[in-house]
Amino acid sequence: MKAIAKRWWLGAAVAAFAALPWTLGVYHQHILIVSLFYVMMAASWNLLAGYTGQVSFGHAAFAGIGAYASGILAVKAGVNPWIGVAAGTLLAAVFGFLLGILCLKLGGIYLSLTTLGFSEILHIVINNEYEITRGTMGLQVPGLIAEYSKLAYFYIFLAAALVTLAVVHRLIHANIGLNFRAVQNDERAAAALGVDVVRVRVLAFTVSSALAGMAGALYGHYLLLITPQIPSLDQQFLVLSMTVIGGLGSFAGPIIGAFGLEILSEYIRAYGEYHVLAFGLVALIVARFAPRGVVGIWNGWRARRDLARAAGAAP
Amino acid sequence: MALLEGHGVSRAFGGVRALDGVDFAVEAGTIVGLIGPNGAGKTTLFNIVAGALAPSQGTVRFDGRQISGLPAYRICRRGIARTFQVTRPFGEMTCLENVAVGIINRHPALGQSEWQDRAAGFLAEVGLEAQARTAAKHLNVIQKKRLEIARALATEPRLLMLDEVLGGLNTQEIQEAVGFIRELRDRRGLTVFWIEHVMGAIMQAAEKVLVLDQGTLLMEGPPAAVVSDPRVVHAYLGD
Ligand SMILES: Nc1ncnc2c1ncn2[C@@H]1O[C@H](COP(=O)(O)OP(=O)(O)O)[C@@H](O)[C@H]1O
Ligand SMILES: [Mg+2]
Repeated sequence: MKAIAKRWWLGAAVAAFAALPWTLGVYHQHILIVSLFYVMMAASWNLLAGYTGQVSFGHAAFAGIGAYASGILAVKAGVNPWIGVAAGTLLAAVFGFLLGILCLKLGGIYLSLTTLGFSEILHIVINNEYEITRGTMGLQVPGLIAEYSKLAYFYIFLAAALVTLAVVHRLIHANIGLNFRAVQNDERAAAALGVDVVRVRVLAFTVSSALAGMAGALYGHYLLLITPQIPSLDQQFLVLSMTVIGGLGSFAGPIIGAFGLEILSEYIRAYGEYHVLAFGLVALIVARFAPRGVVGIWNGWRARRDLARAAGAAP
Repeated sequence: MALLEGHGVSRAFGGVRALDGVDFAVEAGTIVGLIGPNGAGKTTLFNIVAGALAPSQGTVRFDGRQISGLPAYRICRRGIARTFQVTRPFGEMTCLENVAVGIINRHPALGQSEWQDRAAGFLAEVGLEAQARTAAKHLNVIQKKRLEIARALATEPRLLMLDEVLGGLNTQEIQEAVGFIRELRDRRGLTVFWIEHVMGAIMQAAEKVLVLDQGTLLMEGPPAAVVSDPRVVHAYLGD
């Protein structure tokens, strides 16, 4: 009964959100589209960091792989952008899988270091292969649809974000999700209970990277200009901050964090480009004092309220 | 042929020889006790059998096949489950979910309602049914040890390895626990390999006892023979 009611609320919320851009101007439509891009990025990073406890610093790099793969295919080979998005997603998955096999056997910190290195190498390649990538000038790419329309892009991004969230939801609620959390809680105990820890990690990393690749590819075809800003560490730390502040390891956390921080950064952008740094510092404080982020604070508050009510109702 | 056999099992940590050429056998259907003073190498031996550590030398065979060198999860799937002396619950997960991890890796196709039912059954078996929805980090030490046993059983092992599960219990509770393990063995047709510091309990429960001292097998035999052996008394009490 309660589950059905929850579904209805969810459906109504999505429908209301889908109707929202009709009431907004193009600038605010743009903010919603960018927010949806970050929902995809943060939700897929959370799948890895929040549910298996592995911190990748290459998530923005994987978005870059998706964006550049699709963009270059379109510009150099005239490939349809939709096919390019699929190809970019696949390429990010392949890179994720290979990197995963390479370093996940070693565990923990090695993934962080390897992905950081990977991210830097990607930057060097993008900057040096000017002929192909146009370096910091940026690569001009065609859009996903013949006639440019913010509304159309909004629905494309909404659909893609819903697909991303559905994939994450399915994984964490399937049996494999229990294995994810077991590995995060205690990998030695998990292994003793029959969990193939390396396989679980590689799977999470591959799926997470593929979803980042898809988000990046779509984003490139929305901006119509792909620059090294997409696979930058700035971007990486923004996604990290969104997830941590919203709530690491919770389903709603990255969604809240992505919208909250993207909207906020539009307002504080006027004060200079230090907002990512500021978010990073806030994320650090949140990680220390409220490791489950905004969602955790909210749940804690509700639990205390219910407890107080139960105590009040008792005779 | 015994269900579990080790030949010349050795393991060094830096310069410390924690195990030095240990031969042992655990016969199917029996309870075999493993005793010895602190630091004798008992837990190290369990870690090697379970695949948490590789032996520096020697081999371990289970059901006639070599298992040393296999990763822990494969050894678990072959039918060996172990508890940890210092318990390792998945703290942020409920007791039900803790047990479910053991179940779903044995039966990957099982749906949620099925594994929930089965997990509840294992929890009931160790008397934790009331804690099914409690996060494991909130359990007390004794409850955590019970959870370790429920999780191990959930993998449907043929060999159950217990590492000091009686710590913290009083005499009365130890009696009950010994009865419980024996009954478990009979009901499930298990083989049990059991480390315990509490000598009395293992003497009651085990059909055979192995004594480790400073990484070597001091002696083995029926409990009565072991307790009265002067070498064992010496190892435990010193000069
Ligand atoms: N992972 C490890 N690293 C280094 N030394 C270890 C490790 N595990 C055990 N040891 C050492 O090996 C010896 C045997 O330890 P252990 O097997 O835990 O003994 P027991 O379980 O019989 O008390 C001890 O000297 C201990 O310090
Ligand atoms: Mg020990």
